[in-house]
Amino acid sequence: MLEWILLALIVLVVVILVAIFFGYYNRIISSSNRIDNAWSQIDVQLKKRADLVPNLVETVKGYAAHEKKAIEMVTTARERMVGAAGVKERMQAGTGLAAALKTIFALAENYPALRASENFKLLQEQLDGIESKIAYARQFYNDSSLAYNNAIKTVPGRWIAGRMGRTQERPYFEIPKAERAPVKVSF
Amino acid sequence: MQKTSFYDQIGKNKRNSVLLMLPIAALVVALLYVIGYIFAPDLLIFIVMFGIIWMTLQAIVSYKYGDRAVLSVMKAKPADPVKHAYLINTVEGLSLAAGIPAPKTYVIESEEINAFAVGNDPQHASIGVTTGALENLNRAELEGVVGHEISHVRNYDIRLMTMIAVFVGFAAILSYLLLRSFWFSRGSSEREGRGGGLAILAILIGLILAVFAPIATRLVQAMISRRREYLADASSVELTRYPEGLASALEKIKNTNTGKMNVSESISHLFFSDPKKSPLDNLFATHPPIEKRIEVLRAM
Repeated sequence: MLEWILLALIVLVVVILVAIFFGYYNRIISSSNRIDNAWSQIDVQLKKRADLVPNLVETVKGYAAHEKKAIEMVTTARERMVGAAGVKERMQAGTGLAAALKTIFALAENYPALRASENFKLLQEQLDGIESKIAYARQFYNDSSLAYNNAIKTVPGRWIAGRMGRTQERPYFEIPKAERAPVKVSF
Repeated sequence: MQKTSFYDQIGKNKRNSVLLMLPIAALVVALLYVIGYIFAPDLLIFIVMFGIIWMTLQAIVSYKYGDRAVLSVMKAKPADPVKHAYLINTVEGLSLAAGIPAPKTYVIESEEINAFAVGNDPQHASIGVTTGALENLNRAELEGVVGHEISHVRNYDIRLMTMIAVFVGFAAILSYLLLRSFWFSRGSSEREGRGGGLAILAILIGLILAVFAPIATRLVQAMISRRREYLADASSVELTRYPEGLASALEKIKNTNTGKMNVSESISHLFFSDPKKSPLDNLFATHPPIEKRIEVLRAM
């Protein structure tokens, strides 16, 4: 009788351990996938922004063609953005493009006709929207990284992550310095 | 303190909701049982089975087509990509923050400040905002309100509330049937000779159930809904990281809404703030009092 109880207990413990292992294994894998998905969401927005730039440049040229310097700045920032590969570079190029776009919008203040144009207004709303979408997507990315890092650094996930060879913490996106500082505009 | 992730929270939510739905389901089955016992004891099992199958079918239908019905009842129109670009951007941005696909966005013509979410899962969800909300709320406030609705979608509240609405409606139909049949069979006493005391007891229980089941299911519905509202407020703040936006939106609702929005009672729990006010609100309100919600938000 006693042996049977003992055996049942051992089986129970093994089952529980296996369940915990599977639970953590799946959690680590799925939260890692979520980070990758979060990044691709950011990337989609970065691409969309780059795609809107030529349209914006054309509109600005129609009203303020002689602002060559600002227009060129945006165009080169966009080219850098399109050419960039890898998470870090793309993020950096994205920040550069955001700064260049801010200059354009600040310049537009001097051109009432440009500001009043429907096309420009719509572009501005879209670019503003993309800006906040990038911020939100970055927030989701950081939340996902936090969940993943917690899962692989706390016990018992730590031991399981070690077995899986996943000991590396995933990085967070810092808010770039350029975005924290007030925008400088030179005329 | 370790922060519980959204996903743990959602899992916990799903379990809690199942626990809360059990009493409702039990009441409905009890009603079926009593009806079966009184009218056709020989076919008891058949009647109970039939009732459960009927209810499941109804649940499936409202699961699949419920959102369309609700949208047309509310006269919601799809948001215009140019005119409402700002609203669409807000919805898309906050769904990115929540990590769900962007729901379809609708606008309802109404002076009142309100919003709603319907659908069954984040892949098939719709969010609507009244024109009153678009006109009266600033960006931070609108983000708070939309964040609240996005949270309902992400937390699977919309599916749960649709399911509960089916149960509540079913309980109401059953007890109506039961009460009516009592009314008609009062005169004839032929049944009493057959079952004796047991039959009288069954009729008594049936009567009590018929009267109280609709009330009880409504109470549970309101209770679940209120919990979900607090949770959605909190999740909205987790998305926007700005409690004051939502709090001041609620304040505006408190000051401007008349509580006379033209919507049916059965879909009132889908809205951001109670579209109708009634004297029984303390017990049956699907939303916590606005003052309390503001207070909780300001304490965050």
